[in-house]
Amino acid sequence: MSRVSRRRILAERTVVLVATLLFLLPVCWLIATAYKPSNQIFTVPPRLTFEPTLDQFRQALALFDVVSLVRSSLVISLGTTLLSLLLGVPSGYALARSKARFATGFAYFFLAIRMIPAIAALIPFYLLMRDIGLLGSWWAVIVFNTMLNCAFVTWMMFSYFKSLPPDMEEAALTDGCTLIGAFLRVALPSVRSGIIACALFCMMFSWNDFLHPMFLTTLDSKPISVALLTAYGTKDITWGTLGALAHFSTIPIVLMALFMNRYFVQGATNGVQ
Amino acid sequence: MAEISFTNVSKTYAGGKAAALNDFNLKIADGEFMVLVGPSGCGKTTALRMIAGLEDISSGKLKINDTVANDLSPRDRDIAMVFQSYALYPHLTVADNIAFGLKVRGAKPEVIADKVRETAALLELTEFLDRKPNRLSGGQRQRVAMGRALVRSPNAFLMDEPLSNLDARLRGQMRAEISRLQRMTAVTTVYVTHDQVEAMTMGHRVAVMNKGTLQQLDTPRALYDRPVNMFVAGFIGSPPINFLEGRLVAHDNGPAVAIGEFLLPLAQQGERAARRIDQRVAIGIRPEHLKLSDNAGMPGTISARASFVEDLGADLLVHMEDKGTAASGAVVMDDERDMMKSAPRLKALVDSSLRVRRDERVTFSVDPSLILLFDPETGVRL
Repeated sequence: MSRVSRRRILAERTVVLVATLLFLLPVCWLIATAYKPSNQIFTVPPRLTFEPTLDQFRQALALFDVVSLVRSSLVISLGTTLLSLLLGVPSGYALARSKARFATGFAYFFLAIRMIPAIAALIPFYLLMRDIGLLGSWWAVIVFNTMLNCAFVTWMMFSYFKSLPPDMEEAALTDGCTLIGAFLRVALPSVRSGIIACALFCMMFSWNDFLHPMFLTTLDSKPISVALLTAYGTKDITWGTLGALAHFSTIPIVLMALFMNRYFVQGATNGVQ
Repeated sequence: MAEISFTNVSKTYAGGKAAALNDFNLKIADGEFMVLVGPSGCGKTTALRMIAGLEDISSGKLKINDTVANDLSPRDRDIAMVFQSYALYPHLTVADNIAFGLKVRGAKPEVIADKVRETAALLELTEFLDRKPNRLSGGQRQRVAMGRALVRSPNAFLMDEPLSNLDARLRGQMRAEISRLQRMTAVTTVYVTHDQVEAMTMGHRVAVMNKGTLQQLDTPRALYDRPVNMFVAGFIGSPPINFLEGRLVAHDNGPAVAIGEFLLPLAQQGERAARRIDQRVAIGIRPEHLKLSDNAGMPGTISARASFVEDLGADLLVHMEDKGTAASGAVVMDDERDMMKSAPRLKALVDSSLRVRRDERVTFSVDPSLILLFDPETGVRL
């Protein structure tokens, strides 16, 4: 290996390391907070050694119905993901295979929907949900997030199906499939990584979403992202409780990202061409 | 088993200037191996996809076994197609790829297993049955694509340039293999290619197409010996035929062509040629019909300096210096003009045991019966 390329690799690794530290530092601080006794959280200078305690977790579990919060988060994000895929994947396919001249433009229109600030739609949507009596239910958030995510899934899957040569579906047609059969049996399995990537995007978006459930859910239906805010008490901010609660909010999504990481990168770079 | 016929079939694309297929008529007999050949964009693939039901027909009638098939869905035609890209299902194993058509049509699992085993054995794919397509070589993928078509015993096979992605050696092997399988199964086969070697060696009959129209439909031998026009003459034969510009003249007791300073007496060229005495003609001479001769300057010979010699192993391809011999100025149809531009020099294919060196002046004689004459305006053979 030449000296230049070795130096280059060293430089690259340094940059990556610095960036990683920069991103991880707040997370590490938050996680560490959950294991510190309350009086040691804000010691100056910050101490790296402390007596670990589970008190913060005890308090968090006593104050919050964590199971119900996590269940709400799960229902909302899984529901959104499922609905977005059910609507978005076939739409993307239809647009990609359409011979109409405006099909591609239409697909980009879907991307534009995703770019509209969601808050602009939130107020009319709030009133709409109130009128049809869904306000405060999981459905309100699921429908709202599906509206945003489905547009994104449509556009993403459009690029995926577009990059898939139609030969295979034509082969399926001559092999005896109907159009829907060719879609289900051949086209769909061929874009598996794209579908998984879309599912991950939707899942993460909905799981981390704070603003929409904040407006659209009630005490019974709120997800953990909203509950985190309630750790801000009236008198003080219970940082330790917040840190403990943050565990339940981040661990599922981090685990998912770790396991699905391969598809995520593949999906994000492969489909968009 | 199927008989397929096109009657006045045309295809125009929205916004497209030229028709992809123009008043196309073709009748493919039951059990026949029909090759559609032509340059890219000639409409051969469009015609094939029409048979498969993958392409709409703008006007005209397509019949499969006396049933008008214009609006029949692909699945109702029971036709198997082999694609240029093979179009194997990447998520299925070789066995599942082959079984796909049977499964979709609801065959019994025992029947499917038997047929897949049989087909795999026939195509020497048995040891790869559990592999996914991405772990196969090009040749193996090609055989899987064949297997997927064969296993169903369909009405007809359609093949769209199935060998174009293979290397030369494998292509030669598969060419023979496909011909053998077709003779064995006697299923009507329509084979699209732009490779004139495949056209010559594989089909019972060959349809030469250009710009959406059928130029000539005949046996490979007849296409080679008696092309109807300059396009067919130029397309069939490798290396391609030489086109020279000349004039028909009367010589001794028959017609002859004068090409620059050379005079080539003609054999029986019929009355049509005789009526054109003193008129310009385009002359087609295949490189392999030029024979080395010692009679320089005699009628029936052409002499020129060898500007370049390609050693092909068994043969030498001698490129002659262009000295008024090539028909560079001939007024002909667009395509033929392109053909001449790309190969303006006279070429001869001679046995490699005969030493021809660069810059040597060589003389060739031509068998008068092998000289083809064309109308330089229309390109039609005289």
